[in-house]
Amino acid sequence: MTNFLFGRYLPGNSWIHQMSPQSKLLLSFYFVIVIFFANNLVSYGVLALLIIVVILLSGVSITFFLKGIRPLIWLIIFTVGLQILFSSGGTILWQWGPFSITNLSLINGGFIFIRFLLIIMISTVLTLTTTPLAIADGVQTILKPLKRVHFPVDTLALMLSIALRFVPTLMDEMETILNAQRSRGVDFGSGSLTHRVKAAVPLLVPLFTGAINHAENLSTAMEARGFTDSEHRSKYRIYRWQLKDTLSWIVFLVAGGLVLYLRK
Amino acid sequence: MDKAISFNQVTHTYQANTPYAQNALDNISLEIPTNSFTAIIGHTGSGKSTLVQHINALLKPTQGSVTVYNRSITPTTTNKNLKELRRHVGMVFQFPEKQLFEETVIKDIMFGPKNYGMVDAEAEQAAIEAMKLVGLDKSLSEKSPFDLSGGQMRRVAIAGVLAMKPEVLILDEPTAGLDPRGHKEIMDLASYLHDHDHITIILVTHQMDDVVNYASEVVVMDKGKIVQTGTPAEVFADPKWVYRMQLNLPTSAEFAQQLIDAGVPIGQLPLTIDQLADRITELARKGENPDD
Amino acid sequence: MKDIIQVKNISFNYSGQPLLFDGLSLDVHEGEWLALIGQNGSGKSTLARLIDGLNVLKKGQIFVDGLLVSDQNVFDIRNKIGMVFQNPEDQFVGATVEDDVAFGLENRQIDREKMHQLVKTSLENVNMWEFRDRIPANLSGGQKQRVAIAGIVALSPKIIILDEATSMLDPQGRQDILDLVRQLKEKNHLTVISITHDIDEAASADRVIVINKGQKIDEDIPGKIFSNTEQLARIGLDAPYTAQLIAALKRRHFDLDKEYLDREGLIAWIKQLVSTK
Repeated sequence: MTNFLFGRYLPGNSWIHQMSPQSKLLLSFYFVIVIFFANNLVSYGVLALLIIVVILLSGVSITFFLKGIRPLIWLIIFTVGLQILFSSGGTILWQWGPFSITNLSLINGGFIFIRFLLIIMISTVLTLTTTPLAIADGVQTILKPLKRVHFPVDTLALMLSIALRFVPTLMDEMETILNAQRSRGVDFGSGSLTHRVKAAVPLLVPLFTGAINHAENLSTAMEARGFTDSEHRSKYRIYRWQLKDTLSWIVFLVAGGLVLYLRK
Repeated sequence: MDKAISFNQVTHTYQANTPYAQNALDNISLEIPTNSFTAIIGHTGSGKSTLVQHINALLKPTQGSVTVYNRSITPTTTNKNLKELRRHVGMVFQFPEKQLFEETVIKDIMFGPKNYGMVDAEAEQAAIEAMKLVGLDKSLSEKSPFDLSGGQMRRVAIAGVLAMKPEVLILDEPTAGLDPRGHKEIMDLASYLHDHDHITIILVTHQMDDVVNYASEVVVMDKGKIVQTGTPAEVFADPKWVYRMQLNLPTSAEFAQQLIDAGVPIGQLPLTIDQLADRITELARKGENPDD
Repeated sequence: MKDIIQVKNISFNYSGQPLLFDGLSLDVHEGEWLALIGQNGSGKSTLARLIDGLNVLKKGQIFVDGLLVSDQNVFDIRNKIGMVFQNPEDQFVGATVEDDVAFGLENRQIDREKMHQLVKTSLENVNMWEFRDRIPANLSGGQKQRVAIAGIVALSPKIIILDEATSMLDPQGRQDILDLVRQLKEKNHLTVISITHDIDEAASADRVIVINKGQKIDEDIPGKIFSNTEQLARIGLDAPYTAQLIAALKRRHFDLDKEYLDREGLIAWIKQLVSTK
């Protein structure tokens, strides 16, 4: 758990850190789409090269980065393994009952592996270089057009930012409750499935009670600080589109074009 | 004296090998005697909570070993062996009322004892005794713990730990947020358990008055290291050092210091109100009979 | 002296519970530091919430700076009052220190330029500007309370209510917050109401009101309130340190006609006692 990087923020001031959150969000989304267009080694190579440049620009050391996503790789290998065993077509290399391995499924499996890896890498870079608050703000900016159809964009963004702000608080609380119940003799994470489900009750009840308490107190404090509704507020932070964003988009668009040109 | 707990060159690093790595305990060696009342003090973030969580094996040392009643915990101890150790060490966390979850008070108090193998009847007996100890009325036993006042909830949580009949009781700032009456009741309970039931008490606190009024030994921590151990008198002997550790003096010592600054020859700093009153009495008698 | 808050004959209960206040009246003078003391559950925090319009009265009226607390006025009232609550965690709305201070300003639709200026000066006022990028998880309780105070200062209220704002802090953090509020009070000519069961905090107030079971049972300067040690004991509050020392000396047969002195007074008396006659 301690080396796990996915979803965490690493403070810094790199090129990637300085980009506006809305363009980082959109670029990640765009990158994921392009991944699905790549279908041969060269086109994947272009994307891999691009992601390596992005990681370098984010100021995070590559070895640290790879170590951080390692826990997820097992998950991918497991999924890819199933994919290989259950797909058909091509020359059969090995067969046992319903399971078979063919040359095509191997190649496909390899590509799926690379896809997963690339997606995890781009989203890890996104969260490593963007504060949760900035992500919430980015979502708000991107969804702004929906305001015309009375979609509560601002409320959604405020909810998201408060939710993200309380993640560490609740994680801390969970840790304390886990410890308190452990010292009362609860064995978390061992025994049969029913045993484990039972063991979750002494964790979940206090966690929810605590969360509800936080929510009540927080809403009082917000009211006392003059909060009425989320649509009638000014904004302290604005993330402006910068030259860095434009340049990044040009690079990503060119890479996307290249993938389309190089694919079979 | 017998040692209940010993730390042997213990280092604990949070999130080792990452940019987030933090040394929370730095090469700690410590012995806590059986049936002592030990206070652990140090400013916020000095490593007190990390230290006591090792005694309950909630944390394992990154280096070194911890021994609790002849059971040792090392970096390689497996989780399976920890439960047996934990039944001997009760731990009351800060704001322990947050751990309540059962439908009724009595069920919540019985939860720990049952986990450690007591049968229902035994556990219920232990729970009833624990309720009496912490001063909860029997009529509350079938109520939901969430319908009680804050102070009562805290006592339910403490009863839940006491019902497991631990030999060592760790109290991590047990009185935080309580009013003066609640504070005194909890501290008197700790004192009773120590004197009457011979439980080894380990108290983590910021309240220096509690240290001098209740503890027999004091451990001072700073930046993950133990910087001083001794009796309250030894630890508070040098006010300048105490302030440098970002700690306070007990109120009586602080007031005595003000008297000294005003020219009253108090001499060695008294720690409790009675010591200070005795000292003033002595000085006043001398004033009446200057020939003494 | 003008009364900045007037509580007139109020009654209130939480739904499904018996009356907490039944005909309570009290006044807060402009510019004073008023300590509201009483045991947990005595109703003192509820009173603060009623003054800020966070709960609705059953009977009676409350006026804040001449304005009746009502649905229509509630936002003007909240512009005049800044509240610091007990739990530092539960009033930190923003994702970072800066954003949290800005929260109240955003609610009042202050324009961005002015907002940035106000956030900076307010954080400088509480010595937290250098921590502006921190997330709450990386702050101590005392630092979070400082940020809460900065958020209040940014709105330049007339009244600050400390609702047990120091009770979850360590002694150092507690002292820091009280010193800070005292300093702000002088500088900005504030009225401060501190709701507390820390008797030494109350000892430094200009005036004390004792609440017990929803009733005002006493109101006076600290010296008078603390002389009545029996009453304090009866409602479960500690006597201040000096009163405890005086009691200990009386048990040793010293003659002192007072039950309470402040620190300076007691030091002077002891000095005289031990000096050669």
